Amino acid sequence: MNEEPSPILIVEDRLSDLDLTKRAFARRRILNPILEARDGEEALAYIGKWEAGERRPVCILLDLGLPKISGLEVLRQYKSRPISSTIPVIVLTTSADDQDIAEAYKLGCNSYIVKPVEFDNFMEVASHIEVYWCALNTAPR
Amino acid sequence: MCGSLLLACTAILFPMASAQVPKDRKNVLMLYWDNKDIPGNISFDLGFLAGMRSEPRDNWEVYNEYLDSSRFPGKHQNEILYDYLRQKYEGSSIDVIVATPDPSVEFLLKHRSDLFPNSPIVFVAVKRPPPEILAAGPGITGIIRANTHRKTLDLALALHPDTEQVFVVSGTPELDKRFEIVARQELSAYENRVRITYLTDLPLNELIAKTASLPKHSIILYVWQRLGGDQSQLQTHEVLELIARSASAPIYGMGSRNVGYGLVGGYVQDSEQNGIEVAQLVRRILNGTRASDIPVDSAPSALMFDWRQLQRWGLSENKLPNSSIVKFKELTFWQQYKLRILLVAALFAVQTALIAFLLIERKRRQRAREALDRLNAELEERIAARTAALNAKSRELETFAYSVAHDLKAPLRGIDGYSRLLLEDHLAGLNDEGREFLKTIHSSSGEMSQLIDDLLEYSRLERRELKSDYVELGPLIKSVVEQKKREAAETSIDFVVDVNGGSIVADPNGLTQSLRNYLDNAVKFTEKVSHPRIEVGSKELAEKFLVWVRDNGVGFDMKYHDRIFDIFQRLNTSEQYPGSGIGLAIVRKAMERMGGKAWAQSQPGQGATFYLEIPKQSTQVN
Repeated sequence: MNEEPSPILIVEDRLSDLDLTKRAFARRRILNPILEARDGEEALAYIGKWEAGERRPVCILLDLGLPKISGLEVLRQYKSRPISSTIPVIVLTTSADDQDIAEAYKLGCNSYIVKPVEFDNFMEVASHIEVYWCALNTAPR
Repeated sequence: MCGSLLLACTAILFPMASAQVPKDRKNVLMLYWDNKDIPGNISFDLGFLAGMRSEPRDNWEVYNEYLDSSRFPGKHQNEILYDYLRQKYEGSSIDVIVATPDPSVEFLLKHRSDLFPNSPIVFVAVKRPPPEILAAGPGITGIIRANTHRKTLDLALALHPDTEQVFVVSGTPELDKRFEIVARQELSAYENRVRITYLTDLPLNELIAKTASLPKHSIILYVWQRLGGDQSQLQTHEVLELIARSASAPIYGMGSRNVGYGLVGGYVQDSEQNGIEVAQLVRRILNGTRASDIPVDSAPSALMFDWRQLQRWGLSENKLPNSSIVKFKELTFWQQYKLRILLVAALFAVQTALIAFLLIERKRRQRAREALDRLNAELEERIAARTAALNAKSRELETFAYSVAHDLKAPLRGIDGYSRLLLEDHLAGLNDEGREFLKTIHSSSGEMSQLIDDLLEYSRLERRELKSDYVELGPLIKSVVEQKKREAAETSIDFVVDVNGGSIVADPNGLTQSLRNYLDNAVKFTEKVSHPRIEVGSKELAEKFLVWVRDNGVGFDMKYHDRIFDIFQRLNTSEQYPGSGIGLAIVRKAMERMGGKAWAQSQPGQGATFYLEIPKQSTQVN
């Protein structure tokens, strides 16, 4: 494949988590470029960029506990805008709260994964995400 | 005088001579005028016999004879009766003869020397016999019936001071005229004061019509009146009754028998009373007193009134002389039922008071109840408000605990992640001690992660809504045990499941969680025994199911049996048996929420048995 793979957008306020996620992807030799957003505002700012013609990500990893604008609100807006509504959103968060899970699915998330604490397990999650969403899954163009 | 007397056919029929008479028996002969059925004779007879019997003495016999001249008038009756008596009583001994009234006395005195020369006589008469006769022979005594015409008329005139006319009723039949003669003698003195008219021998209709239309200011003096003859004869009181109904003037009279049939009143003589008096005299003579030694006395007379007639003529009882006897007094309702009325009134009053008391009491209780209800309502409101506040606080705390537990996990991931990265990527730059430190960091973070997970589980139990599902207990237990069996495949634990089926309504998640925690516990504490064995059983009781998990692990001292169910309580160090001390607390909490129980029994080194008690119909307990 000559063409560079589509990017993966990681919305994560915690630097260590962001770094660990990137490292996990790197260890799994995931080549997709990584886009980052450190809070809700930055996450929503991408919508304008995509509408302006920037390349849309193959999937978005979205944390729920974000500064400024909450992850659920970001999710709601992504799913309500035509440009972003078809991008698979994988909620990757520490929260295992039933309400959060239910609300996220109601707003249209495509997957909900509780972040494991242990590094090994985290690696595995990252690997599964790459395999499933970046390789197996076919998202609308 | 009495011209003719008649033989009484109703007299005793057997001849005295043939009677077998005991020697000491005394014989009394009664000689009545008129027949035995007239009221005066009956009353006299009653009184006489009563008087005779007032002192018990059986040895006397009474023989009654009746002259009956009213029904058998005629000149020769006198002789016939004389013959009859002479033949009948010849040879018999008569100890006393009683004669009443005057005609009988006259007859007897006339024939005494022939008929009963040796018998003393007791009489009742108007006319007093002359003294020489009283003393003659075996003697005579008796009582004089004084004429009360004047006394009665005086009484009537006193009660009716404006009286102008007096009508005297007397007469028929023939012999009754005697009474009129007496009356005329008695009343002659009044001729100057009032006009006296004698209504003698009037036929009944005429008499009734006459007395019904008397002029004003009249009174009637009823002396004696009999009507008709033979069977249909009307007695004097019956005649009185007939005229009294329509009489236009008050009627006074002298016969006690007439009181009650229309007389207002009068000085009356009572035949029964006379009979009693005569009996006293007879008994004295029979006991040996000479008749001539007993003075002749007056017959008692009483001033008697008929209360109903007093009412009819508007006469007040207060106007009557003190000695008056008022008969036929109709008691007023009050007089008649005074006691009962008072009793009923008292009862009524008591009842009314009681009802009033009860009503007041009821009202009071009602008010008290209302006040109590208000207080209760207020209290409930306050409780509800406080409960709501508490619940809100509690939820806030739970949420806080949950988010704290949550947020604690994020940095933990950093610690674990980077210590791993350090170990993997920079191993060469670390000495053995550094590597050991990193391993400790790694295992500590793992422990902390487990602790946080358990805490989250515990707090989730609080936050989660309790379900009430239909649960088949047998399959649920078996499936949980199966899963645990798979997880513990590497161990040599022998799982034995012996559960009886049964369905309950409970929270399946809480149940599964509790059972799993018990199994985790059992697996953990059998780790170090040579032949680990875990038995799971159940038993159906009346209202609940008992489920137990028994192990042959290290067991515990029973003094800790309750403490082990408290959160963060551990009996072993984490080096010996790792654990957060939350598992059993979760079990207890889950069971309590279902209305069940969790407890354990053990002995150190003998294994332990952990029980779940699940109600068949579990209800949420807050």
